[in-house]
Amino acid sequence: MSDNNVMKGGLGTGLLILSAAVMVATFGYVIFQLNTVGHAAFNVSSKLPWGQPISTYLYFALASSGLGLIASLPLVFGFKQYYGIAKRAIFLAFIILISGMAVLALELGHTFRMLWAIPFNMQIQSAMFWMGVFYAADLLFLLWKFQKMEAGDWDSKNTKIIGIASFLGVLLASGNLALIFGMMSMRPFWFDGSLPIYFYLTAVTSGMAALVFFSYLAYGFDRSKMPQKLQNALNNGLPKLFAAVLGLTILFVAVRAITGLYTNNPEVYHVWADYLFASPVYILSLLLGLLVPFALMMSRNLRVNPQVQVLVSVLTFGGLFAERYFFVVGGQVIPLFQGTWAWNMIQYTPSATEWALTIMGSAMIFTLYVLGEKFFNLSAVPEQLEEAAEAEAKATA
Amino acid sequence: MAKWGMVIDLDKCTGCQACTTACAMENNTLPGESWQDVLYYNEGEYPSAQMKWLPRPCMQCEDPSCVHVCPTRATYKDPDAGGIVFVDWNKCIGCKYCMIACPYGVRFYADEQPLIEPDMRDVYPGENGQMWSPPYQNPEQDWRRGIGIQPKGVVSKCTFCYHKVSKAPEGVPDLDEDDPELVEYVPACVRTCPPKARYFGDLDNPESNVNRIIGDKHGVRLLDHTGNRPQVYYLGAGAGVPAFSPRNS
Repeated sequence: MSDNNVMKGGLGTGLLILSAAVMVATFGYVIFQLNTVGHAAFNVSSKLPWGQPISTYLYFALASSGLGLIASLPLVFGFKQYYGIAKRAIFLAFIILISGMAVLALELGHTFRMLWAIPFNMQIQSAMFWMGVFYAADLLFLLWKFQKMEAGDWDSKNTKIIGIASFLGVLLASGNLALIFGMMSMRPFWFDGSLPIYFYLTAVTSGMAALVFFSYLAYGFDRSKMPQKLQNALNNGLPKLFAAVLGLTILFVAVRAITGLYTNNPEVYHVWADYLFASPVYILSLLLGLLVPFALMMSRNLRVNPQVQVLVSVLTFGGLFAERYFFVVGGQVIPLFQGTWAWNMIQYTPSATEWALTIMGSAMIFTLYVLGEKFFNLSAVPEQLEEAAEAEAKATA
Repeated sequence: MAKWGMVIDLDKCTGCQACTTACAMENNTLPGESWQDVLYYNEGEYPSAQMKWLPRPCMQCEDPSCVHVCPTRATYKDPDAGGIVFVDWNKCIGCKYCMIACPYGVRFYADEQPLIEPDMRDVYPGENGQMWSPPYQNPEQDWRRGIGIQPKGVVSKCTFCYHKVSKAPEGVPDLDEDDPELVEYVPACVRTCPPKARYFGDLDNPESNVNRIIGDKHGVRLLDHTGNRPQVYYLGAGAGVPAFSPRNS
């Protein structure tokens, strides 16, 4: 077991205090705004009801699902070379989902009413009902799986069943989340039966970015200080997988863009031509957030370089945040009816309160992450594997 | 039980917005929260450009997508109330998914930035849980049906003036403002329409005038491809959805 984890020491405590302070301050600001101004503190409107808080939730929920899918490689499909990343992936999936849910809760008109109104009314026709069911199950299985790992039980029959249940939970949760948008025939920019595939791909991409970044953060961005199994994963399989999912994400965005630009449907064409590609931020997010990372990860030498890996994970993290934002807002910018009050595309820029919610969610992830690193060994692997890895390291030394 | 439907004759409608005003007064809606609105738009280009308008209440759809998506059954279609779609303000969690799913853009979340200044919610601060409390208020209130002035954090919409319609004698085929015995039960927008471009009646009753004119004058429903099947029908030229064309201004 490695004790080079800088999060366990003063650096971690410093980050913990900083992130907790940011979390408390932004939470306080949001609560103050909601109590004094109400939801009018958001820049959304009846014409564009879902803004940045929803895209932040979507981003976090999918990053969490991506981490769950990555963790299933060793835990469900038996890719033992990825054991070194499994526990951290599960923990990150849990805390990122919790943070996303916190952001969503503050976006709702009635947060606490949801807790009884959804289960007691059993509206099984609603995709949002199933979102609650599947993400609650996802959260439960993640916690259960983590508890099993913490107890050192990686391979028992029960653990494997929980792993499979968790994998299915993740697939259902993120696939269903895609259908919340994809089934809306009245919102043609979103209306797409293949959206679950797009969400799975981008989920894994953002999950991978989170995993790589937070793994490096735990060891002060120094790979040589990492446990052997984690080093192996970051040296071999993981970068190739990262490159593959980045490539597939680009392919999917390109296919959607080409279809969107080709169609005559104004609710799709104008979104791509006059909103997305008219925005320098969107173009920058495609270039810097997806294409540059993909190009870097395609190079055999660069993709194993620790600095490049950290850079790529940060760029991808930012790029996909923008992707989620433009996806959510893009589906609503064309008014349902041209007419009074809506001659043109609907304008939307997030307000300070909405930004505060995004920052609050991010700070919450950092706070919970440092606590996780402090109290658990997130780089742990099954005991027999750890011994084998140490023996291998000695033999090659 | 009746299935209430509305017919709007675009050949008669002059776009005067009396319906919009009557609705706002009847239901004490905030500026921008137009349960009933008339949308103005241009079609074509010079020299054959036309100015057109489209009156747009809630369509009270037969198969409403807003009802399917609501995770709490807060929005529901009540067959015992003439098939009107209501929002139960005691159950609504303010997720706004119904607003995303409604093809007609006729749902409102009034807890948002004011359309005009001063903000009416500051001028007449809310009492008794209401979002705002203007000096004159319709005394009718039923939060389980979204009738009255809404509280914060919920979605609101047109109710076909159910507080009036529900008091009509059972079995009447039409609620006609020209009938002195029925005039009090007619929805505000129908009653006030100066050129009598609106008709309100029972779509399930073969004797009703609304059924007759939908058949005779080829009534159409908006955005039928979404499968919502509105209980509001349009007659006359221009009964279509204005196409979107972005402007650089």
